[in-house]
Amino acid sequence: MRHVFATMGTVASLDAHAGVVAAVEAEFADADRRFSLSRADSELSAVNAGRVELADAGSALRDAHALAVEWRILTGGAFTPIRPDGLLDLNGVVKALTMSRAAAILDEAGGRPWSLVVGGDLIAFAAGRDAAPRTTGIVDPFDRGRLLCSIELRGTRRAIATSGTAERGDHIWKTGSGGLAFSQVTVVADDIVTADVLATAIVAGGEQLLVDACSRWDVDVLAVDARGGLRATPGVRRALASAA
Amino acid sequence: MRKRAIAGSILASFGVLAVGWQIGAATGVAHPASTTTTTTGGSASGSGSGTNSTTTTTGTALKDGTYTGTSEQTRYGNVQVAAVISGGRITDVKALQLTDREQRSVQISNYAAPILRQEVLASQSATVSNVGGATYTTDGYLSSLQSALDQAAS
Repeated sequence: MRHVFATMGTVASLDAHAGVVAAVEAEFADADRRFSLSRADSELSAVNAGRVELADAGSALRDAHALAVEWRILTGGAFTPIRPDGLLDLNGVVKALTMSRAAAILDEAGGRPWSLVVGGDLIAFAAGRDAAPRTTGIVDPFDRGRLLCSIELRGTRRAIATSGTAERGDHIWKTGSGGLAFSQVTVVADDIVTADVLATAIVAGGEQLLVDACSRWDVDVLAVDARGGLRATPGVRRALASAA
Repeated sequence: MRKRAIAGSILASFGVLAVGWQIGAATGVAHPASTTTTTTGGSASGSGSGTNSTTTTTGTALKDGTYTGTSEQTRYGNVQVAAVISGGRITDVKALQLTDREQRSVQISNYAAPILRQEVLASQSATVSNVGGATYTTDGYLSSLQSALDQAAS
């Protein structure tokens, strides 16, 4: 059954049995209450307003902050939780973190295949070697009514995240000078936090981050440059779905 | 014999030039200087004047020899290369230093290489259960492919 709900300024599409829907939705509602910057009463808004010290915030917020800072260091600043206006924005990791929590709930609920898409990023059950792979289409950044390609998730690869400049809502703040080299970057990984952070970092950091991410992390990457040229790692090439 | 060789190489130069113009026209990049520089390429002394014309179309003349680059510090360690130029072309690149701290050569195995759109597009017609893309807003979702799939599935 498909269940669609609004959260974190975007929309989530959950394909799972009806019994776990409420638990997954509650996980997102909880994160939204804590981290939303559009709610003045959220814990993160209180920290940004100076009403609460970061050190006095709840462990969920401090953990998310520590994770975001760790990724900032790992990506040489291409991924950052600090907005250009100086506000702390943890949504670059919170959405993926919440998707990971939801994945744990969904896995625990039983063996039935499931998938969860939140604002264009996906996590799904880990398909066994013999199971039919789950196919995910990737939008063409130059024509959003069309697919650029379709990618099959197999084995431990269960997360796909895409960042780009075509839609609002990505937490991309350009590092360095000049225009953005890539208009869309898709990262396939075993976990959604790695996929999501690196997709954002490569769009922000350009060519250097693309090479860096591919060589340092176990990920597959499909990058669309500003002129529509495509770059793909061998893993993406292998995962391209054969026409049905 | 010598005259014929030179004449042949000049003809070859024009051939290369014509190809150069075609490429220039196709990509919308003009090479206004190539006509004048090629005439000097055709009269260049030494062997391989045919290949000389290739370099003159880009307006840069490379002298034969081995050029050693400066040693660059990278996160893999120091990297230094030497380029061998012969007949106006880079014919070899030798790694003088290419080691990391453990003194073994480093190879980047996972690299995002250019891929033809055709190869990617062939996967388009597969049946998909979800659609990934850059983060959409609540409003953006309504007109998205994911929204269409969700409606079809529920």
